[in-house]
Amino acid sequence: MIINEKVVNNITTINLWGTLDASTAPTLRNFKSDAQPASPIVINMADVDFLDSSGLGALVGFAKEKRGAGGDVLLACMNNKVRKVFEITQVYRLFAIYDDVEAATLNAEKKQTSL
Amino acid sequence: MKTLIIVKEKDYDWLRPIFPGIHPLLVPICNKPFIEFLIDFAILAGSDALRLVSDGPLSDVEEYCDNGIRWGIPISYGSFLSSDDMELIMEKNHRYCSGERILSMNGFLFIKYDKQHAYRELFAARPEGEILSCSKGSLSLTGTSGETTSCDETLPLSLLELDSLDVYYRLSMEILSFSESPYVIPGYSIEPYCHIGRNVVISKSAEIIKPVIIGNNVQIMAGSIIGPEAVIGSNVIIDRESTVKRSIVFENTYIGEHLEVQNRIAAGNILIEPESGISITMDDPHLLTGIKSSRSTERLIQSLVHRVLALLIITVQLVPFLLLWPILKIQGRWKKSINSYYTNEEGKTLLLTTTAIERKGAISLVAAALSLDRFSLLFSVLSGRLAIIGSGPIAANADKSAAFHEMESWYKAAVFSYAEAEEWPVSGSEKAIVERYFAVHGNPLLDIAMTIKAFLNLIHEIPAP
Repeated sequence: MIINEKVVNNITTINLWGTLDASTAPTLRNFKSDAQPASPIVINMADVDFLDSSGLGALVGFAKEKRGAGGDVLLACMNNKVRKVFEITQVYRLFAIYDDVEAATLNAEKKQTSL
Repeated sequence: MKTLIIVKEKDYDWLRPIFPGIHPLLVPICNKPFIEFLIDFAILAGSDALRLVSDGPLSDVEEYCDNGIRWGIPISYGSFLSSDDMELIMEKNHRYCSGERILSMNGFLFIKYDKQHAYRELFAARPEGEILSCSKGSLSLTGTSGETTSCDETLPLSLLELDSLDVYYRLSMEILSFSESPYVIPGYSIEPYCHIGRNVVISKSAEIIKPVIIGNNVQIMAGSIIGPEAVIGSNVIIDRESTVKRSIVFENTYIGEHLEVQNRIAAGNILIEPESGISITMDDPHLLTGIKSSRSTERLIQSLVHRVLALLIITVQLVPFLLLWPILKIQGRWKKSINSYYTNEEGKTLLLTTTAIERKGAISLVAAALSLDRFSLLFSVLSGRLAIIGSGPIAANADKSAAFHEMESWYKAAVFSYAEAEEWPVSGSEKAIVERYFAVHGNPLLDIAMTIKAFLNLIHEIPAP
């Protein structure tokens, strides 16, 4: 799992590459973002090719931590395989999911300015 | 043009308790799942792609429609949060919608159309904006098309809010009343008012009175009278001398001998009066019952694996249990309680003796580390009342019955829970996430691994003395 972080228009976008499973979930769990704790983050899932319950746990934990600090996590560009995991576990109820990173970033920006 | 179907869970929630186990978008209208009417209409209107978005679960609909290959139109799926407004929903589907003309169908609505009309041309000429609306939703166009003209002509369409069982019943009866249906109805039809599916066996002495729609694999026994105005679903058996008039019989239903079903909806062993919505559950399988599919081989293997695992753990725990249990009992740290818990079967409960070990002192810590508190539950696995791994048993009480209804599809009362294996919070709504995941992805091999993982995780859980 490769995690890459970039800031566009004051919004941090985290790009994930590879598989998010039991072996790689700790990487995301231990990832410390440079973003302000209270600012929203966009996670680009376009290159996540597999997600299991441990990976899901890491994502939920990451979002929980972020929300606890007053921020939020927006997800973007899930492939069908990953979206199906969100669907069957009903985790889609916990996240704002966009089909486009730009749209997610724009909304994160709106959220940030409204804070 | 592309179509975006937006369905909010709150709009169809009323249907869930009436037809449990069937996603409201798959509830059959004249033997055709509701979603298919929407897909047909989207194709007639000239759509070359369709996306279905909802704030509720769509997995059953996705399983049924898949990628849309059956209709020759790519179908994709998406989700939104129940608090999202229309603008935000469109933004969440920005990539799908950008640069295209979008036909939005918003709401749990039935679109009354006629397949004979050239909707493609009519929609292409239509300017951007709302086409039709009602209190529960709307049909609108966004984006412009090259062929747009200032067309004020009313489209041959109307919207019907599907908001009660009576509306659903009347709609089905209305579709039956067309000599030549404006919709594509499943089944073979060589004469007006009559559609019959494949593999239908009708006894010589049975009487079929039009209009009727009969599904696939139906048996109509001697002396039965079907119709007028009857919709018989697939895999239905109508036994001898029975009558079905102005009624809808859902698929997989058995109608017993000498039974008269009039102005009713029969679904499994439930008989519903559409106008009032009052339903009766039949306990006598000779009158009315659901036809259940047989248990799959994998489930049998899974249950066998669970029993073997339980036997192994009993063998491991037996000696420590016999040694430690009397000491803990004397110390008063072995606390037993008997409670009623939900089983995997709808509405059924079972009495279980659960144990809590007060974690004070080395002996109780060792007992807890070896999961001796689960020892008595393991025998329930051998008798098939519990699974070895699944969901932590949920105590049965009136407050939880509504919430439990939602969990029925994936709940599997067990000795160890998947949440314990995956180190998720073992209580609260989050544990449901991991349990739903394994309800779909679980298999006998995975269950062995997860049981061992849960067993070991419980050992790690014990704080150092």
